[in-house]
Amino acid sequence: MKTALWKTFALLAVVSMLGALCVVPAAAQEPGKVDEAWYAKAAEPYKGVTITGVSESTPPSKYAAEVLAPAFEKMTGIKVKFEVTSWDQMYDKEMKDMEAGTGLYDFVYLEQDIVYAYMARNFLVDLDQMMKDKPELVRPGFNWDDFVAFANYFKDPKTGHMMGMPMESFLKTVVYRTDLFGDPKIKEAFKAKYGYELAPATTFQQYRDIAEFFTQWGKDNNMELWGTVVQAHTGHVASWYEQVESILPAFGVYNWGINKDNWKACVANGGQMNSDRAKEALTWWLGNLKYAPPEATSSTWDEIAASFAAGRAAMGWEYCENLGWIGRDETKSKVIGKFAVALPPLYKGVLEDAKAGKGYIGYYDGGAYAIPVGSKNKEAAFLWLMYIGDPGIQAGWAIAGTRITMKATLDDPAVKEMDKQLGGYFTFYKEYSSLFAGAPPFPFHASVREVVAPFFFRAITGELTPSDALDQACAAAEEELVREGYGK
Amino acid sequence: MKSTRTGWGLLAPTLIILAFVGVLPFLYVFYIGFFDWTMFAAKTGLVFAGVNNYRRLVFDNDFLAALARTVQFAAWAVVSELILGFLLAQLLLRNFRGRSIFRTIHALPLVVAPIAVGATWRLFTIPGFGPLPYYLDKWFGFDYNISRYPSHAFATILLMDIWHWTPFVTLTLLAGLTALPREPFEQALVDGANRLQVFRYLTLPMIQPILLTTVFIRIMDALRIVDEVWMLTGGGPGTSNRYVGLHIWLIVFPKTDYGYGAAMSLLTLYFTIVLSWLLFIAIAQAGRQTTA
Repeated sequence: MKTALWKTFALLAVVSMLGALCVVPAAAQEPGKVDEAWYAKAAEPYKGVTITGVSESTPPSKYAAEVLAPAFEKMTGIKVKFEVTSWDQMYDKEMKDMEAGTGLYDFVYLEQDIVYAYMARNFLVDLDQMMKDKPELVRPGFNWDDFVAFANYFKDPKTGHMMGMPMESFLKTVVYRTDLFGDPKIKEAFKAKYGYELAPATTFQQYRDIAEFFTQWGKDNNMELWGTVVQAHTGHVASWYEQVESILPAFGVYNWGINKDNWKACVANGGQMNSDRAKEALTWWLGNLKYAPPEATSSTWDEIAASFAAGRAAMGWEYCENLGWIGRDETKSKVIGKFAVALPPLYKGVLEDAKAGKGYIGYYDGGAYAIPVGSKNKEAAFLWLMYIGDPGIQAGWAIAGTRITMKATLDDPAVKEMDKQLGGYFTFYKEYSSLFAGAPPFPFHASVREVVAPFFFRAITGELTPSDALDQACAAAEEELVREGYGK
Repeated sequence: MKSTRTGWGLLAPTLIILAFVGVLPFLYVFYIGFFDWTMFAAKTGLVFAGVNNYRRLVFDNDFLAALARTVQFAAWAVVSELILGFLLAQLLLRNFRGRSIFRTIHALPLVVAPIAVGATWRLFTIPGFGPLPYYLDKWFGFDYNISRYPSHAFATILLMDIWHWTPFVTLTLLAGLTALPREPFEQALVDGANRLQVFRYLTLPMIQPILLTTVFIRIMDALRIVDEVWMLTGGGPGTSNRYVGLHIWLIVFPKTDYGYGAAMSLLTLYFTIVLSWLLFIAIAQAGRQTTA
């Protein structure tokens, strides 16, 4: 009897293990066709070399690590050792490596907001120069013009040369529940209460009305539903990012409110960080917490996606790289086929500013892979970057990671088909991405962020009023800027 | 003479390793504490600043506040763990059914990495998803939210630390108590001493060395708490739970202010040594008074 029981357990264990092996990971999209013969030939001198890289643990990076790296390795014989880790850890590791010049990493993730800091320190290999020096490593037909406009963020302003190979770009915009917004009963109730049709908000008052309405609707109908997600972690810089990336620009305050001509932040010195508009923006955003799920004050970019996917909010600003899994992964998402993307509510004149190139309406996020100057395998790493920028792999990667780097990807039939599952996100991207912008070109991005963010944390907890928080934040920012040698 | 040489020979590998991983980094930190060195400043590289970083520290309210709340946290944590650990050690001295299983389960938190402890407690307490806020609200109508209320976050961090480290105190005190000779206790009972008198005049003085060691280890650990707090609240809500270790980490790594961070580290080390020394004197004096 005992032996029989053991045999049953053993059999179950073997079956479970085989089952686990057969489960196809969500990212297991085929990498797509490329000119394998060319890569194999170009990689001949570097066969057997191992290149090491570090990247943030996001859907696009996981796809690169799990699908693209093995495919590249098989094709070229160059082994790609890929560390996919948290955002904080990634920066910690790559900055230390580049500052010390240890050459531990052959490629690093280069988020758009840090690129100016890395360029200022001459941390990165000039890709255009490398293409000139090593033409045999440049894929036939390669052209920077094939990339979307976001790629320009990786150009060195002094030389116009590219410092990174774009690997992702996506928008942070408003995502809303189409099943709720389209429900006739809800629409009727909303119109009866507010006197206008329920639709994605175009003004901040409308956004507030909708958030309030759905929070009440959730209460009245015994649902775990709130009006909006808010990325308002009280101890993580994610909350400050939501302010400066999405809310302030929608109110018409750009570049964190820092004057780029004299590096001043306070109104008295020509900045906008503590302007009336900035204070209005912060007050409005904090007011949304009343209509957000309880996890809002613990939410970074990951948790707002999880909250929306769990069906706990009717709308909110979301990093659209997450729409791939929110729109398709049944194990994680309850809102498959039930959402769409929309323009955020905007202050009067902001859309016009954006169209005229004088401002922007929200955050255009993304990153590239770059080669640190300390790398000991620059040529092999450059070939990997060529593969990252190969049109053949783009559609599969866009489907797996909801990211775009090349113009042609948006017209790919498979991507167009997937657009329906993403609430029209790719179409939205094509039409409106030019209105969004990346982080301002500040070399001091990380250091000023760390000084200013705590004032926002304290405003969220109510320890400081929005007005006091911004007055103190701008003074602290100016003090730090002077200390770092920016302005007097 | 030969045995001295053999002794140094045997110690040499350890001393060499210590020199590389302990002494040299310490000297390096001491050195860069005299420079302004921010990775993304307009003036790159090391700029000599003399003692300016130390002067800044004296007027840095954020640093001083972090230091003060660290001392407060360490006091609460160490005292709680000591009392609880002693009571549990006393309990484990007795024979009862399930003692071995209890001892094993009780010691399990010790093998968990601090970062994993923080992550687990975050899952347990995160508003909206965590079971603790859910049931506190459902059963008692209590709005428990570690990301909004500093006192809730502080209590949770304290509980987490007590859960993590009390087993260490229990095990060390248990080892000390088990090793005590039985005769003095039997004699005291024959002489009619009550439990409190036995504890005050026998147990406490006899386990004083192990008690001191345990207290110092725990104080030094509590003063440099980082990982658990970072995972749980990020030092929030606001900056209410930004302890000095976390504050230094934020200055040195995300902000990349290496010179100032080095000065902070050294001042904190100095503070820890002085605090431990004062505590040592106080405990030793109290011990002498008890035995007198």
